[in-house]
Amino acid sequence: MLNRREFVLGLGATGLLTALPGVSFAAAGPGTRVLVVLLRGAMDGLDALRPYADPNYARLRGALADANNIGHKLDGTFALHPSLGFASELYQNKQLLPVLAVAPPYRQRSHFDAQDCLENGTGTPSGARDGWMDRCVRALPGSEGLALAAVMPLIFRGGGAVSNWSPPLPEAADAALLQRLQPLYAADAALAENFAHALSGDEEAMPAMAGMNTPRGGGTLVAMMTAAATFMAKPDGPRVAFVEDTGWDSHRGQAAQLTRKLAELDAALKAFHAGATTIWPQTVVMVATEFGRTAAVNGTGGTDHGTGGTMLLTGGAVNGGRIAGTWPGLANSDLNDGRDLRTTTDMRSVFKAVAQQHLGVAESALETLVFPDSRAATPLDGLLLARRNA
Amino acid sequence: MAASLDTHHALIRFGLGPRPGEAKAINDPRAWLLAQVQGKPRELSAGFAALPSSLDYFGREIDYIKEAAADKKQRGDQPTPQASPTQATAAVLGSADDPSPAGRKRKQPGQVQGFRKVFGADLLAEVRARYHWAISTEDGFHERLTHFWSNHFAVSLDKRAASLYVMPMEREAIRPNVGGRFEDMLLAVARHPAMLRYLDNVASVGDDSQAAQRLQQRAQQKGRKLGLNENLAREILELHTLGVDGGYSQSDVTEFARALTGWSMPRPRQLQGRAPSAAFEFYDITHEPGARTVLGKRYAEGGEEQAQAILHDLARHPATAKHLATKLTRHFVADQPPPTMVARIAKTYLDHDGDLAAVYKAVIDSPEAWDPANRKLRTPDDWLVAAMRAGAIDIDQKLRPSMDLLAKMGQPTLTPRSPAGYADIAADWNGSDALFKRVQAAQLLSDWIARDRDPIAMAQDALGTQLDGDTATGIRRAESPQQGYALLLASPAFQWR
Repeated sequence: MLNRREFVLGLGATGLLTALPGVSFAAAGPGTRVLVVLLRGAMDGLDALRPYADPNYARLRGALADANNIGHKLDGTFALHPSLGFASELYQNKQLLPVLAVAPPYRQRSHFDAQDCLENGTGTPSGARDGWMDRCVRALPGSEGLALAAVMPLIFRGGGAVSNWSPPLPEAADAALLQRLQPLYAADAALAENFAHALSGDEEAMPAMAGMNTPRGGGTLVAMMTAAATFMAKPDGPRVAFVEDTGWDSHRGQAAQLTRKLAELDAALKAFHAGATTIWPQTVVMVATEFGRTAAVNGTGGTDHGTGGTMLLTGGAVNGGRIAGTWPGLANSDLNDGRDLRTTTDMRSVFKAVAQQHLGVAESALETLVFPDSRAATPLDGLLLARRNA
Repeated sequence: MAASLDTHHALIRFGLGPRPGEAKAINDPRAWLLAQVQGKPRELSAGFAALPSSLDYFGREIDYIKEAAADKKQRGDQPTPQASPTQATAAVLGSADDPSPAGRKRKQPGQVQGFRKVFGADLLAEVRARYHWAISTEDGFHERLTHFWSNHFAVSLDKRAASLYVMPMEREAIRPNVGGRFEDMLLAVARHPAMLRYLDNVASVGDDSQAAQRLQQRAQQKGRKLGLNENLAREILELHTLGVDGGYSQSDVTEFARALTGWSMPRPRQLQGRAPSAAFEFYDITHEPGARTVLGKRYAEGGEEQAQAILHDLARHPATAKHLATKLTRHFVADQPPPTMVARIAKTYLDHDGDLAAVYKAVIDSPEAWDPANRKLRTPDDWLVAAMRAGAIDIDQKLRPSMDLLAKMGQPTLTPRSPAGYADIAADWNGSDALFKRVQAAQLLSDWIARDRDPIAMAQDALGTQLDGDTATGIRRAESPQQGYALLLASPAFQWR
């Protein structure tokens, strides 16, 4: 074990290790783990999970519905995008569960407001100033959360036992400097807690990971999911973690963009799976996005902001190999405002089911603390294997 | 009021942080601030003069595309190894020891050079000019406002199609209008190639336009259809003018998008003999014909002027006044903007027909903006600029590591992750990880400061009245000048403005 100071000094001296300082998890608690992957920009759910047998699909989608390259057929109706090869293997192994026509309870089309709703767990962007994952950590005493992000996302804000992490700077931190800064930060009410946390605890140096030092410093999805697996697989690792990605807004030239982005997602799932083998049976990964996109292709080979989207659940604890949710149809009369896939599942019904049935959040805490005023969004049954891991 | 105003407060809260000796040269902080936003802005440094205009870049981009296409044809349709925009900008702005200069390695004799190799030096020159000016200017308030508006009208180097025009947009559309009317800035931005490409308006075609009808058959054969793209219209309403609660509907978005069809860039053959500012072209043939209704008002068919009329009304809308007043108050006063001040600034905006100089004066004359109890956390970019000003660091020598640092601190230069721009509240920047990285960054920067500076004098210059006793004591007891500089830059007092 190294504390952050020793770690950083060591790194500065050798310059060889790529390691993950700054996070420690004291409490083990039950062994279940949840990772939320937020794809910002609105992944096109109808392209990720293609309703290839719906007669309206080819009509609406034009060139985006390439009959010669429909992807990985899951059943007589749906196929995963050609880039989602590993995900389709997970499906075959009954460990991938797509959820249809799902979105946060927000019906406008602003990315930022919709992401705020997804993250704050309410029906309006200003419905809560803290995030539902933060409240989830608070509802599970002794557990900790980790955001793999340079900036703490809303979903984890609110004062629970949560930290964030991104690839470190190579510069060594001078122990004497940190020591002199400590009393100064202790006297600053707004920064004291976070600064203390930055220096606290014992931290383990992590094995070197290829691809961690990405050019722009933000970290690619693959690198961040690899890091997430490494953290979460530790015996005292975070029970809930969060990874985010951007670049999903596909207003034009969507075919090329999503071929690339979904391949990244597929590789990221594979990397997480490989790194998290020890905890995989107790793990649920939820891949979510703020909303779906227009049912029809637009004038520029892309799609505009829509409503009902697609979620992907995976992990050893998931009751996969089938498709969850209710298909609302693509006939003109079925569409929301005549343009988008309707939403048939409130995303909170998925989050609540996993928080309650997998993490063990008590029902009272679920309804009052984690997802207040969400009685109408009842937890979705059957997402998880009946076997409970403790 | 003026008698009690604190010079350091003006330099830190309103400006970009003091340079050595700068505070001593200011007699009247209020007058110092007002002078920067009334009258003609100071002439920019020489580094700007040599930078190409958007139209220059456009001409070179067309040449590049032609060359690349010809090259591809010659090589028999081999897939061209092409850097993504992220890689392209990263190679220039990111770490100097970028391990994979793919374009360079794969370059064969006769093969066209990669995008980033062709345009990388330009981007570097752009960034150098911008930061050199930010770190050296005596008009820190004017420059802060420039950066504020650039972030309000956020575009990103990450989108390849827009990347060449991102830096020119600040020079061509923002700077000339910082002290002018909001409407003029809004219009200049909406017509700028950076925004037209970033939010896809260049590809938006009216469904009933001549172009759509003429090309429908051909497009259908290719499995494409020409049509409307709502992206720019929506973000103008949501982010640039009314704000998300500004009372517009989906139908307003669609109608406005129709009015904006035809707003695009020139065709290559139109480039000869143009004024350098005219990288905009309106196309009748892609414009959706007919009247439009936006926010309940009917706009008669009028070609280019139709969307212009809508922008004109949006700029004067009370919701726009409130939205802009909220953002300015948040920027200069507190993460939770005091509603009374927001109302006051919004009223000034409306009373003066969106004259920004009058709005800034109202901000300067707001006691809330001078209340030491209100604090704003410096963003990583703010922090870096303030640190380099305080330490008199020569950015020209440290450009690449500085930009690399910003990316790792979560604020890569002019690459916000969405059109909403970078966040302007402490919660986005004060996480444990972020604070630790600031300590590391402070150490790195302390090595770039000439060792003849007395650390405590530097702290007094940089913080003035905001230098508290404990921080001063800590700096006095530092083991070396370098540790003193690092302690100052990493101290909590230096994180706020």
